[in-house]
Amino acid sequence: MKLKHGTLAMVLAGGRVDELNVLTYSRPKSAVPFGGFARIIDFPLSNLMNSGLERVAILSQYRNYSLINHIGSGASWDMIGRNRGISILPPFKGSEGANWYRGSADAVSQNVDFIKYHQPEVVLVLSGDHVYNMDYREIIRYHRARDADMTMACLQVPIETAHRFGVAEIDDEDGAIGGRVRRYWEKPVEPQCNWASMTIYCFRPQALYDVLTGCAPGQGDVEFGRHIIPMMMREGRKVYGFKFADYWGYTRTVAEYWQTSMDMLGPDPLIRIEDWGIRTNLEHRAIRDYQPLKVGTGATIDDSLIYNGCVVDGVVKRSILFPGVKVGRGALVEDSILFFDNVIGENVCIRKTISDVNVTYGRGCTVGGEEVASGLPTVVGGRNTIPPAISIGSSCTIYPQLEPDRLQGGIKAGEIVK
Amino acid sequence: MKTSPIYHRDETVVLLLAGGVGSRLNVLVKTRAKPAVPFGGLYRIIDFSLSNVMNSGLNQVGVLTQYNPLSLMGHIGTGEAWDFTGRSRGVKILPPRTGASASDWYKGTADAVRQNIDFIRAHPSRQVLILSGDHIYQMDFAKMIAFHQQKGADVTVAMMEVPFDQIQQFGTGITDGDGRIIDWEEKPKLPRTNLASMGIYVFDTEYLLATLSRDRLEIDFGMHIIPRAIAQDNVFAYPFGGYWRDVGTIQALWEANMDIIRDDSGISPQAWGIRSNPETERRIADRSFTRFGSACRISGAAISAGCRIEGEVVNSVLSPGVVVKTGASVRDSILFPDCVVERNAVVNLAIIDKRGNVGEGAVVGYGDEHHLPNNLHPTHLYTGISLVGKGASIGAKCVVGRNCILQPNISLPAGKIVGSGETV
Repeated sequence: MKLKHGTLAMVLAGGRVDELNVLTYSRPKSAVPFGGFARIIDFPLSNLMNSGLERVAILSQYRNYSLINHIGSGASWDMIGRNRGISILPPFKGSEGANWYRGSADAVSQNVDFIKYHQPEVVLVLSGDHVYNMDYREIIRYHRARDADMTMACLQVPIETAHRFGVAEIDDEDGAIGGRVRRYWEKPVEPQCNWASMTIYCFRPQALYDVLTGCAPGQGDVEFGRHIIPMMMREGRKVYGFKFADYWGYTRTVAEYWQTSMDMLGPDPLIRIEDWGIRTNLEHRAIRDYQPLKVGTGATIDDSLIYNGCVVDGVVKRSILFPGVKVGRGALVEDSILFFDNVIGENVCIRKTISDVNVTYGRGCTVGGEEVASGLPTVVGGRNTIPPAISIGSSCTIYPQLEPDRLQGGIKAGEIVK
Repeated sequence: MKTSPIYHRDETVVLLLAGGVGSRLNVLVKTRAKPAVPFGGLYRIIDFSLSNVMNSGLNQVGVLTQYNPLSLMGHIGTGEAWDFTGRSRGVKILPPRTGASASDWYKGTADAVRQNIDFIRAHPSRQVLILSGDHIYQMDFAKMIAFHQQKGADVTVAMMEVPFDQIQQFGTGITDGDGRIIDWEEKPKLPRTNLASMGIYVFDTEYLLATLSRDRLEIDFGMHIIPRAIAQDNVFAYPFGGYWRDVGTIQALWEANMDIIRDDSGISPQAWGIRSNPETERRIADRSFTRFGSACRISGAAISAGCRIEGEVVNSVLSPGVVVKTGASVRDSILFPDCVVERNAVVNLAIIDKRGNVGEGAVVGYGDEHHLPNNLHPTHLYTGISLVGKGASIGAKCVVGRNCILQPNISLPAGKIVGSGETV
C-alpha cells in the first residue's frame, strides 16, 4: 500500500484543553468552532489538502463524537478516492497491552502498524489544535534536502513567553529557511533562545520507529516535546529546525482565543482567513442548507464577519457570527463571537462575549457588562436559555445547559456559574 | 411472480424537463439553460424542483436537457447534493440521442418524454412524475401521488388559481366537484376559468407508455395529450395553493429574487428545504464568511457568504464572491457570483451576471426612463431593469441607462455612455 506521494500525515487531535473551559466541555479542542464558520481542525486539514497531502490519520481520544461527526468521510477536504483518505484512529484494545493514549508520542507509537502499512517516505506529525496557514511541502522539501532524521517547524516568539514552549537553538546553516538544531529545551524556565516548536514534525520513518521503540512507556505519558525530541538530541540524531515566519494563532486560553478571533477584524486585519483556502464540513450541523444572510431594514453591520443562515435586524459591531445566528430588532452585539444558531432576542445587549452553540437570549437581557470592559470575555456555554431582562456581567463563565432559574437575578462580573 | 428486490413496483420515477431556452431571460441564458440561472444568491432555479423531488422521498430522476446543458450537468454532478446516489437512487442526464428509429431533437414536452421511454422502462414504476426545472415553489409530490392513487386517476395535473390577467399564458382547466377535469383550454384568449396548469403531471406508468405510443405528432402534453385524455380517460386536478413563480422574464426573475429579502412574501428557501450543490463552479464549499467593513450600510438585503462589503447594499440579492468597495452603492439589484463593484460606483435596478465588473465611479442604471424599452429586445426589458452579461467589464465613470443590455465579456472603455434602451 505504498503511498503515491510519499507522505503520511498524523494529526494529533486527542486532547482536552482545560483552559478553554466551557468551550471544550463536550468537544475536543480540535472541534472548537473558529473563524466564523469552521472548526480548529479545519485549519491543519485544509493546509494538508492545499499542500497536496492526501493520506491523513487523526489520532483522537477525548470526546470523539463531535470530531468524528465533523470529519465525516473526509470528502470535505477532498480526501476520498483511490489513493486518498482520512482515517480516525482512536485508542483500541489489543492483545498486548494496548491502552488509552498516554501522550502524543504514545498515540503514534500505538499506531506504528498503520504507518508501516502505508510505507511512507515521510511521516508528518502535526497538532490539530492550531490556527495557521502553511504549505507543508516546504518543510518536507527541506527535510529531504537535509536528509534529516526529523525536522521540526519553529516560530519566533517573544522571549518572555518562550518558557511555554519547546525551544530550539537553530544554527544558521540555511539562513532564513532553517538550520540544524544544536540544543533543545522543553518549557525552559529561563529560555536562551526564542525559536518555539510548533508541534509540526517531519520524520524519516525508520528514525521514528527507532526512537518510539527506545522510549517505551514506563510510567506517565510519552510526549514528543518532553521525551522524543530530547532523546533524539541525546542520540545525536540529525534534527533540523524549519523556520516559519507567518501568522500563528494562539488559542490555548479563552483570552488567546478571543484575541486571535479579533485579529481577523478591523480595517487592516492581521489575518484574512478567507484567503487561506479553509474548508469545513458543510454537512456538519447542516450548514449547507442555510440560505443567504438576511439583513433587515433597521440593521447596522460594522466591521464584522457573518455567514449564511443568519438574520440581522439589530446592530452588529466588531463581531463574528457563525451560521444560523439571529439578532433581533433593537439588539446590540459588540466585540463578540456567537457560535452556531444563537438567538439574540429583541433589545438584548451582548458585549465582549463568546457564546457557544444554541444559546437563546431572552428579550432585553444584558450580557458581558454595561460597557466594554478590559479583562476576559464572558463565556456562555452551549444550549443555555438566558432569561429575559437579566444582567450577566463581564468576565463571567456560564456552564452549558443550565436550568434558566440558575440565572434569575443576574450574574455579577467575574462569577462562574456551574 | 416474484418481483426483483431492488425495484419496487410502487415507485414513482421522475422526469424533469430542463431543456428549455427561456429566451426572454436574454443574456442570462446565452450560454446556460434557464434552469441553471442563478437565483436567490446561493441557488440555481433547478434547485427548487430537485429539492422538492428529494424532500418528497423520490430518488430516481431523469433530467432531460437540450439547450446549453453544460452548466446544468456540472451543477447536478453525481446527484449527491440531493442525495440521488446509492444503491437504489440516481439522477441521469438525458439529452437527445441517436439510436432509436425516431430519435431527434426534443420538439415538445411529450415528444421529449416519448424519446425517453427506454429510461422509464429501465426503472419499473407505478407512476411517472413529470415536471419542469423552471419554477420557484415548494411542493410535496408524495401528497400529489397519494391524491392521484386515491382518485384512481390515469393522469393528475397540478393546478392552481392565478389572477385572470395572467391566465392566458397557461393551460387552463375546469373541474367538477370531485376534482375531475372536464374541460381544458391551452393559453385561452378568452379565459373561462382561472385554474391554471403548473405543468406538473403524475401519470400511471402503463397509461403513459400507452398514450405516448398512439401518435408521434402529439408532441406537447398541454396541447395534445391532456385534452385527449380529458375526453376519454380519468384526469384529475391536484389543487396547489402556495407561492409559485415562473421566472421566465427578467421582471419576474427580479421580483422573485426580491421576495427572498422580504419576510412576508411566502418564499423561504431554507424553510422549504431547498439545497444547492456547494461543489459546483461557484464553489460555495471553498468560500468562507462575508466580511463587512466599517463604513458599510446594509438595509434589506440577502447576502451570500463569501462576499466583501465596504459600501452600501440596499434591497439587493448578492451571490457568493461579490465585492462592493468603499463608497459604492448597490440598490434594487441582483449580483451573480464574483461581481465586483469598484469604489464609488453605483448599481441601481440591474441584474449583473457572473464576474461582471463595474468600474470606479461608473453608474449602471442611470436616469428616469424606466419605460423606454430596450431597442433590440423591447419585450424582454421594459420596466427599467438593465442587464449586464457574464464577464462584462464597465470602465471607470461609464454611465449606463435603463433597460440596457451589455453583452457578455464586452469591455466598455472609461467614460462611455450607454443611453437608456441601448444594447452593446
